[in-house]
Amino acid sequence: MEFSAHAERALDTALARGAAYADVRFERARTERIEVRNGEVADLRDAHSEGFGLRALVDGAWGFAACARFDDTSLDAAAARAVAMARAGAAASRQRIGTIPLEAYVDRYVTPLERDPAGVPLGERVALLLEAEAGVHSAPSIAVGRAWIDLWRTDKEFYSTIGSRIAQTIYQSGGAISALAVGDGDSQVRMWPGDRGLYFGGGWEAIELAELRENAARIGEEAHQLLSAPQCPSGTMDVILGGSQVSLQIHESCGHAAELDRIMGWEANFSGTSFLDPAERGKLRYGSPIVTIEIDNTMPRGFATVGFDDEGTKSVRADIIRDGMLVGFESSRDTAGQIGAASTSCVRAESWEYVPMIRMCNLNLLPGDVPFEHLFDDVRDGVYMEANRSWSIDDRRLNFQFGTQIGWEIKHGKRGRMLKNPTYGGVTPAFWNSCDAIADAASWFEWGTPNCGKGEPMQTGRTTQAAAPARFRNVAVGVGYGR
Amino acid sequence: MDAEARRALAARVLERSRADATEAIVTSDHRALTRFTHEFVHQNVDVENVAIRVRAIVDGRTGVASTNAGDDAAIDAVVRRAIEIAAFAPRPAEVPVLAPYASLAAPPAAYVDATAAATAEQRAGVAAAIFDQAASNGCWCSGYVTTSDGGVTIATTAGADASFDGTECGANVKMTAGDSTGFAECYAPDTLVLDGAALGARAAQKARTSADPIAVEPGEWTVILEPAAFGELAAFLATHFSAQSYDEGSSFLSGRLGERVMATGVTIRDDYAHPLHPDAPFDYEGNPKARLALIEDGVARNLLTDSAWARKLGRPNTGHGLPAPNAQGPFPLDLVIEPGSPSLDELIAGTKRGLLVTRLWYVRIVDQRRTILTGMTRDGTFLIVDGKIARGVRNLRFNQSLVDALGTCTFANEQHRTGGYSYALVAPAVKFDRFTFASTTAY
Repeated sequence: MEFSAHAERALDTALARGAAYADVRFERARTERIEVRNGEVADLRDAHSEGFGLRALVDGAWGFAACARFDDTSLDAAAARAVAMARAGAAASRQRIGTIPLEAYVDRYVTPLERDPAGVPLGERVALLLEAEAGVHSAPSIAVGRAWIDLWRTDKEFYSTIGSRIAQTIYQSGGAISALAVGDGDSQVRMWPGDRGLYFGGGWEAIELAELRENAARIGEEAHQLLSAPQCPSGTMDVILGGSQVSLQIHESCGHAAELDRIMGWEANFSGTSFLDPAERGKLRYGSPIVTIEIDNTMPRGFATVGFDDEGTKSVRADIIRDGMLVGFESSRDTAGQIGAASTSCVRAESWEYVPMIRMCNLNLLPGDVPFEHLFDDVRDGVYMEANRSWSIDDRRLNFQFGTQIGWEIKHGKRGRMLKNPTYGGVTPAFWNSCDAIADAASWFEWGTPNCGKGEPMQTGRTTQAAAPARFRNVAVGVGYGR
Repeated sequence: MDAEARRALAARVLERSRADATEAIVTSDHRALTRFTHEFVHQNVDVENVAIRVRAIVDGRTGVASTNAGDDAAIDAVVRRAIEIAAFAPRPAEVPVLAPYASLAAPPAAYVDATAAATAEQRAGVAAAIFDQAASNGCWCSGYVTTSDGGVTIATTAGADASFDGTECGANVKMTAGDSTGFAECYAPDTLVLDGAALGARAAQKARTSADPIAVEPGEWTVILEPAAFGELAAFLATHFSAQSYDEGSSFLSGRLGERVMATGVTIRDDYAHPLHPDAPFDYEGNPKARLALIEDGVARNLLTDSAWARKLGRPNTGHGLPAPNAQGPFPLDLVIEPGSPSLDELIAGTKRGLLVTRLWYVRIVDQRRTILTGMTRDGTFLIVDGKIARGVRNLRFNQSLVDALGTCTFANEQHRTGGYSYALVAPAVKFDRFTFASTTAY
């Protein structure tokens, strides 16, 4: 463990200054971004960042200080600042929330990966993107083609005053292509894979699985065709959502709603609260009986999969919605303790600079038993929508409106003509209760999101919502265009 | 870290580089934030960092690498990596040109010593004053108090040597009173604005006034957006002023420079020297920022460029570059919407039937080219009847073209610095004659 001496000093200082408990997380992160835009390498950078963040608990209140220097003076100063802030917070506070953890771990975790991105020559990465981006210019209306790759490697060490010593190496990778078609006063975008790209916990295999070159021409052609496609109709009708859009639907209307810090008002001034109440656990019907959503922070390919979260809790699986009923929440140690539950290991910090907080991690809708092509069978009048373009939901996670990049008319069980500007809206529990079919495991995929925002200062989280396409009955369609 | 130390760090980068041309961006950052809910502090953070970004140009090719370690070995490594990366980049049609030296003057009062020296106890004191307001008004509160100081230095082998230091502080509070909520915020370089009692009282008053909200029918309404709400919307204009989006056709302005695009009276500027939001007088390439009107009395006047887009379109470089190279294109970091004549009270008094909106939430693009946006009202939405605030209403979802709304609007006479989801700007309250709501909520 590289930072053990530094950790010992910082934690000793925190205890000497009066902390009842302290933990410290050292991180060294390497981030590579390559983006090709209209034939040119618009972004090619390699970022290295390292530092530590120390949490101190004093009289039931937390303080957090972070610093990028590792000399003794800086370690001591950061520990002292964290303790001073905790003490100032405790003096102003009229409640106490912080508790000392009971379990310590000594362990090591490394993300399983098939191919370390470091073994893929930079020239090969750039060439792949140049070729893929060139491919999206498959129609004359394509004004902007883009192709990009993001690669992360994070080495972190966690130490606590109760004896935890945890080392982790986390690999995360992803990439995408997109095409923007412009014509006749309109612009239309298509992206692949899904609407954010293909991102997961792992290595270069994520980029290979994305098949960027293989799908480039089709994406460009679809963007072009959308310019002249008919507008999505409005009205109440059945909707089939593609897997990545179901993933987004889970993220916004289940994932954030079930974060226990929101429910307790910790995000009220910014990200909002939730329509859920801990007292409704086991009583609230969230969705139809085929809807089961679970946390799985141990899953292969999970974008948020780690061995331990950023407050030192071992990763777990836990139910949030079981057979349509609300049964649990995404939680930290402090928030779970308030409702007499165990932490669901959902605490993450964006980097060493950020305080750990509850984040949506891997939260998945379990697959159903209907082959994808049979979802259409008994839809008399509806729309199949793929790939998110617009997303908005109220600050209690009830009233939502989403738009997708592309849609297809469904008439009498058959997928028909392409539609542009599909939008739909609804209210969370009613919508999930209208879900009457989920495609089977053959079309279930670990969709990752690289840019989930929450917290103040804002933190960007990486999260997976695995999902398969699903069918929803009697949905308000066309709402985004005022009809 | 002060400007001199950042300059010394940048100079070490340039000295160690064997690239044809090199740029160093050194940023120093110290930020602290105290966050609270239900009258306790649940998050209290203090973070320091210094980052170095190196852009190396070799045979016309560009490589970028960054680090936050400042020792000689780390600097050698980051320079070497930037040069290595450049070798793998294709040679672009135009060789990038780095910024030369320019005489630059920072706007006054951008850096306030008292803000840089603010303590956790001071922030907790502001929070405690808000707690008192919550208790005395029968509410619970949630919000934050933040103070920060930092700076940026950009040096190039072409001679640029630009530095700026600034301070920021701010607070926001949401008060919840049974079935209603209220909101207030303040932002400035100087901690003098951090009046917890006043902020708490304003948010609590809104929460209490909007108690027992009624549902109103969605549809077309006359709407007055307070600055915090209007700022959330106006932020979505930012990308439309970019020469890149203009040229590529994704901006509503594409092909319309010189035309009337909004109502007379709408003037939108980018102004780094506005006293409510003083910012660096140079962009992230080290070039001087122009203070210019983008929309003037409703007419599209100017586009924003960086060095690459200025050359590409044969236009002047307005100094709105983000760290280069980048895929985003030029961007305005200091949008200012000019005020009108009437006060906010007069706008309300002149409204026979309408809605007053304190704040918006989760605003997103439905249609980029047509500037159709969707989002929700939150934290204080009121019915106006016969020029008076009648009562609170339940929150609504809107779907509205922002440019269409700015075709018939009136601004209030007082500008405010807004916080926003991720983008700060200077804006007054605005009255839109027509604003379309699509649905309502249960609260």
